[in-house]
Amino acid sequence: MRYLAEAAPGTHPLTPICGDQYLNLLVVKFYYCAFTLDTLVSSALAIAVTLGIAFFVASRLTPGVPGKLQMVLEFLVSYVRGLIRETVTEDATFILPIAATIGLYILVANWLDFFPLGFTSILKPANSDLNQTLAMAIVVFIIVEAYAIRVRGLGGYLRHFMRPPFPPLTIIEEIVKPITLSLRLFGNIFAGLLMVYLLTLLPSAFAWTTPISAVGVAVWKAFDVFFVGTIQAFIFMLLTIIYFGQAREGLEEEMGRGHAAAVRQEERATTPATTS
Amino acid sequence: MQHAIALAGGMIGFGLALGGGAIGAAIGDGLAGNATIAGVSRQPEAQARLQVIMFLIIGLVEAMYFINLALGFYLVTQANAVTG
Repeated sequence: MRYLAEAAPGTHPLTPICGDQYLNLLVVKFYYCAFTLDTLVSSALAIAVTLGIAFFVASRLTPGVPGKLQMVLEFLVSYVRGLIRETVTEDATFILPIAATIGLYILVANWLDFFPLGFTSILKPANSDLNQTLAMAIVVFIIVEAYAIRVRGLGGYLRHFMRPPFPPLTIIEEIVKPITLSLRLFGNIFAGLLMVYLLTLLPSAFAWTTPISAVGVAVWKAFDVFFVGTIQAFIFMLLTIIYFGQAREGLEEEMGRGHAAAVRQEERATTPATTS
Repeated sequence: MQHAIALAGGMIGFGLALGGGAIGAAIGDGLAGNATIAGVSRQPEAQARLQVIMFLIIGLVEAMYFINLALGFYLVTQANAVTG
């Protein structure tokens, strides 16, 4: 008898839109005209909860003594703002919505994994699908590159790839960013799912391990969700900010102080005034 | 026959990846803990800040191992799907 058995991880059922054409790369098949329904449903659930929390807090904002939830969110936002000020630059406040949204969304999506989502085959943890994490990482990557081009200019952006150590290496370093960013989150959440599956499989091989398996699932699930999930959400957010920081790293030295000051002036003009 | 060979290769590769990944993750965790202990013994008042950074680094280090685990499992299931 299996307790709390989650469905076997690994495959997400595909729902084709216009036939199941795919790009076969021997090891991996890229289905480019289909979507995975379970990920869509669970990420929609996570988005709904995130928006619900945010709108709930926003609707009952108080200028005086804040409520508990408002306090937590205020702390989060001010912490992210401090990180951006330290890592990127004083005035790049346009990163705050991106980074804080990504952090809060991944945190909510990871914490929702505490419920046995794999119990039914239609719901799986949102981030246990590479499509989901890769989509977020690619969005971050595109915005970072656009920011780098805007700050350095196209010539300076291309010249930045030709910096000393070894030019091909710097290009690979840039391309590898979204891949590691997405694989890190996916691997952690997927491995958590895998561990739960293997632990629940144990009693079917040795009947006397049933209590061990039950306790193991409870302990592992709590550790996986509240420790690993929190840390991975934070790391995804932090690396997003760090990539923005790298996009304008060494701007003062390369372009001269005048250019940097001009960019900062432009940033100050284009970023909307934030209340803080 | 082909299925058996593919499955055996996948299992061996998975085992090697898990073993190597575990060694790397353990060494990385040890280095992070070592540096944290050294920092705390020098500056006991910085303990709270150092611990946050330590857990962050541990998350980064262990992510590599979990990527190994997830991709290895994926490869084994792919090898298992080979027919003929």
